[in-house]
Amino acid sequence: MPTIIALDASLSMLRPVPGRNEHTYISLAIKGIQHLLDNLTASGKLEHLALVVYTTVCELKVDFTRDYDQIRQAIKKIEPLDKACLMTMLKTSVSLMATWGTQNLLQLVVFTDCGPGFGSTSLAAFLEGYTGKEADPEYAWLKLLAAYHLNFICLGMHGDLYFTRGVTLHQQLLDNAALKGQLFMTKPTKGAEAGEVTTSGSHKSELGRTALFELIERLCESSYKSTEVTLKCGHYFRMEGQVLLWPPTVPYEQAPLYGGEPIVRHIEQRIDVCGFLSLSDIGSPATLSRHWVLAKVDREKPTRRSGGLAAVAKPAKLTLDTSNPHYELEKLEQDVRDFYMKDNKDAEESGDDGDVSVVLKHSSTPQTEQQKDTLCVLLHGALKLENMAALVLLGERWYGFMYAYNDSKKKSNFMLNVLPPGSNVIPWLGDLELLGFPEDVPPGESASFPVRSERRSYSQSSVVWIRQASLQSDVQKVLRHAKKMPDKTQHFYKELNRIRRAALALGFVELLEALALLIEKETAQLTLNGVGSECTLQLQHAATELRKTSNRDIKSTIVPLQKASAADSTSSAAPPTSAGSYLY
Amino acid sequence: MFERNEKTIFVLDHTRYFSISSEQYISMDYLKGKPMPAETPAAGSSVGTQLSKSLWTCAVESSIEYCRIVWDLFPGRKHVRFIVSDTAAHIVNTWSPSTQNMSHVSNAMMMVSVPSRSIPQSSDYSVIHGLRAAIEALAEPTDEQLQAAQVGCKKISNEGRVICITSARDNTSMKSLEDIFNTVLLQQNALVGPPGKKGLSIDHCHLVILNIVPLGVESLVTNRSLLEISPLLDVEIHTVHAPNISDKLLHLIMGHYDLASTTVTNIPMKEEQNANSSANYDVEILHARAAHTKVCGPDFTLTTSIKPGTSYETVTLKWCTPRGCGSSDLQPCVGQYNVTPVDVTSRPSSCLINFLLNGRSVLLEVPRKTGTKTTSHMLSARGGEIFVHSLSIARSAMDEAPSITDGPGGRVADYRIPELGQLLKMSRMVPLKAKPKGKMSQGEHLWRRLPRYFPRTMNVTILFNLQRQLSWLPHFLHLLVKEDMDKQDEVRCQQQIHELYKSASRGDMLPFTNTNNTRPKMSKTKDQYRLFYRELEQLIQLNVQTVHHKNLLESLQSLRAAYGDVTNKSEPGAAHLRSYTESPLSPERLEPNSTSSSSNSLLKASKRRMSSSGQRSLLDMISSAERSQSSKRLDFTGRLCTPIGQTAKLYPDFGNKDKDILTPGVIPSNLKDDSIRS
Repeated sequence: MPTIIALDASLSMLRPVPGRNEHTYISLAIKGIQHLLDNLTASGKLEHLALVVYTTVCELKVDFTRDYDQIRQAIKKIEPLDKACLMTMLKTSVSLMATWGTQNLLQLVVFTDCGPGFGSTSLAAFLEGYTGKEADPEYAWLKLLAAYHLNFICLGMHGDLYFTRGVTLHQQLLDNAALKGQLFMTKPTKGAEAGEVTTSGSHKSELGRTALFELIERLCESSYKSTEVTLKCGHYFRMEGQVLLWPPTVPYEQAPLYGGEPIVRHIEQRIDVCGFLSLSDIGSPATLSRHWVLAKVDREKPTRRSGGLAAVAKPAKLTLDTSNPHYELEKLEQDVRDFYMKDNKDAEESGDDGDVSVVLKHSSTPQTEQQKDTLCVLLHGALKLENMAALVLLGERWYGFMYAYNDSKKKSNFMLNVLPPGSNVIPWLGDLELLGFPEDVPPGESASFPVRSERRSYSQSSVVWIRQASLQSDVQKVLRHAKKMPDKTQHFYKELNRIRRAALALGFVELLEALALLIEKETAQLTLNGVGSECTLQLQHAATELRKTSNRDIKSTIVPLQKASAADSTSSAAPPTSAGSYLY
Repeated sequence: MFERNEKTIFVLDHTRYFSISSEQYISMDYLKGKPMPAETPAAGSSVGTQLSKSLWTCAVESSIEYCRIVWDLFPGRKHVRFIVSDTAAHIVNTWSPSTQNMSHVSNAMMMVSVPSRSIPQSSDYSVIHGLRAAIEALAEPTDEQLQAAQVGCKKISNEGRVICITSARDNTSMKSLEDIFNTVLLQQNALVGPPGKKGLSIDHCHLVILNIVPLGVESLVTNRSLLEISPLLDVEIHTVHAPNISDKLLHLIMGHYDLASTTVTNIPMKEEQNANSSANYDVEILHARAAHTKVCGPDFTLTTSIKPGTSYETVTLKWCTPRGCGSSDLQPCVGQYNVTPVDVTSRPSSCLINFLLNGRSVLLEVPRKTGTKTTSHMLSARGGEIFVHSLSIARSAMDEAPSITDGPGGRVADYRIPELGQLLKMSRMVPLKAKPKGKMSQGEHLWRRLPRYFPRTMNVTILFNLQRQLSWLPHFLHLLVKEDMDKQDEVRCQQQIHELYKSASRGDMLPFTNTNNTRPKMSKTKDQYRLFYRELEQLIQLNVQTVHHKNLLESLQSLRAAYGDVTNKSEPGAAHLRSYTESPLSPERLEPNSTSSSSNSLLKASKRRMSSSGQRSLLDMISSAERSQSSKRLDFTGRLCTPIGQTAKLYPDFGNKDKDILTPGVIPSNLKDDSIRS
């Protein structure tokens, strides 16, 4: 989710936070940005972030990047000046975001003290000008902005009238311009009424580092949380695991089949692998969205930190829960792992008492995230090896497929493509509900991809004579065959019948006569040139047949003259096949 | 839910007027190298080598072309019907899918043929019959509408379009045509009222009247753009010269189905005459407009132009010579749409089509302002259908992905990837015609095929590490997980388990190889067998299907006990005892060559010790072991399969005795594929 972090650098941000002598608004905002960066780093540094600083003008400090250190460096050098102009910043953001197109979910995080601005550039002035002129091209950019998600981190206190007025205006802006957004504010502390806070320096005010960090965490929870689902690929418990989908999946608004309100659909909590397909069979079908599939790592669980020698003595037991239904299997895995490890150890320090050294070694090198095996990496590896994709069920009649995706830099990743809901979304795979395994194919039948469609006009020899040239070239083809007759007899009659049928369908009887005439001319010329009688006989036969009204029937077909070939077989080279049996 | 373009009806005027010539002459003379003298035997024929289509032919070919495009682009989704009108309405096809195709329509048209010139002008001949029939046809439900009714949809929307190709004298007669249509429409809807319930009521109808005249003739009917006659009816009127109906319909179809045109430019094609050089051609294709709009973003639009001689816009995209870009290369595609060429018979079109149908795909490039090129679309054919894929051209948040090897689990080196790869290949899906019998959920259908025990990495399994070294192991594992394990399989497995015990008691090393630098030392012999048994036990436990599996499990548990490993299972001791003393695992039978009968008896003895509270003397053990060894009773096998408390059937396999005593030890070792299913 590409995000612009916007920092208000107006002079009002230089005020000290009441009751917090160590902080100004801007220093607090910078702390907030750092905390946001920390949070996003912890969740994998996946988001593209840009930093803009706005006053009367809006300045891009860091363009979209995953290298958050650039932003950390940049925020240190910010010097507040001038007044804040929110609208300028929003407008600039729209142009900055343009490269991301419409397929990405775009976000804005604004750190501001919610100053309402001054004069013509103030929020109030904007709202006044905007009301009633929503359709004005001047405001067209707001339509684009409406697709973004705006998050305002509002730095201020509920007792502060200047702040609350500003917040109200911000909310009005969101409402009036139909923007999707949220204002994050600290909760008012009990008894912290107006005036009291500002005067009492000894009291800690409601706005502070901790409160701000809470806001940031709320923001991350609401806007930057990956979708968490269970991926199930079989009954064995190791073939099932928690995965994160990034960017998070968006609900799909499905128009109901037969009228009524649209249904908003979310993907299921458990996504089931249904089978495997080769990537070349899948091709490039239209997808709703693409997501990375990442193994979820349990960070909440206290890692083996229990410490003390007592804990070290039996490390395996510590991580395994006997009430776990898979306790036996997990313990077995642990023991086998220890068994192999023990050997390693022994190989290094020969002769030692195995048990103690194993334990020590084990506890001294706790497994890092990267060293713990995950289903994602295993499945990714196998799919990549076989060049296949796993078909997954995301909901009722809603599918997607997972595969190993290689980017231009040869980095490989596990990817999920979400297909539009429905089971008939990829025509060449057929109904996805009807996919099965080779054993399901009834004996004597065969099944393979692609599922063939009915023939389209371009894959059969359709006749379209709207352009004169196509009619002329069809006629030309018949005459070409006519010249090489004994050899091309069959082709000649095939083309002749094709034209004849088309002409009859179109009621184009004029063509039949014209064609008969052309054939006769051809005959005359061929006779002049002394071409064998077989050819001329066939041509005369064809011309006569074309003119017969009895042949203007759907079932009739002009067949080659049989006598001619029989009579002629001695003089000319025998026709390749017995023409008599050939039907077109 | 049902759009207006779902139902279209062509009403073709089949009155005498349509037999006249369109007055556009096609020369056939150019075909010959030298023109023939004029006095060729053309006596009695006015055609000569020039010919002209009749108005009827023009009407038929252009309306068929219209439905060619519709059926190519929206197969099975949009329906077109034909009604021919002279003294009565002749229905050419119905809404049924079997008649919604080109060959049905052209075959039917063959029987209609051009109207006869000899029939007298009469008021019986009229297009009105056809228009009436068209309204009735609109009231008939399509299969989709029937389906909606079946699932209980109360209000089925029903709109449609009638395209009438006729020829009227003047505006007055056109007006009366309109009025009659409107009246009939109202009457039809009245019929549909609750008492009669005949068909569906028509919510809206769009009537397009094409008034056609031969080339060079001026019509008294004035063109009129869309006009709302009533809330139910919109009418538009176009007067066109017969040779131009196709262009007119092509223009109209763009709006009717919201289509867009793309001209693929710079297609290199070899000329037949000189194969060395290649010329560049353009091919124009049609598809749903969304194929264009999907790729456009806030900062990006496709530029359009109008080709000379047409009245609609086309987007020009450049052919990208495909370089190693098979259709299997997954493109980030946001939409796929059927395409059809505008001119299906032209040579450039058929070259492009054949190129695609042969399985190659073509990327299409859009020139951007900055001079850089972007591939915005892809053409590819699958299953005999050609699609245009709209590609995602904007920057993606998925770009510059961190590699999976940097993520969780990315540094583990000993995943069982080749084994899983084998499984994937075995579970490759195929399209079926009907749902397979006994198929539950999609996922379950697959999972039943997958192994119930599948360690993810090599360093947590003993069994799968030894598969290559122990030639009997793959087959053994295969037998163990057989859903329908039979007596014979069980006997073989029992024997293997026993063999294993023997080598354990001999102190043989399990033949580990250097998997991640591990080579167990001699001192770990005991551990390896313990783990081996434990893993086997887990594997069987996860696969218990039959009584034979249960028997194996029991023997394995006893064996583990014998080996001094703690069994966690609280199986009644009696069961162990019985399963061993009375099982068919009698040494003589299974191991005719065995010389180590003492080890056998000891094994049994130790079993007993574990299972029966250990209060027995050595003599007891040995004597009971001897007893069991000497008793060659095969007849108690039945008890294993008989629930406790019931009487076992004696000699259940009496007839199959020969089969039962198959010589063991003949175990194929090349069964890698099978073994990984375990």
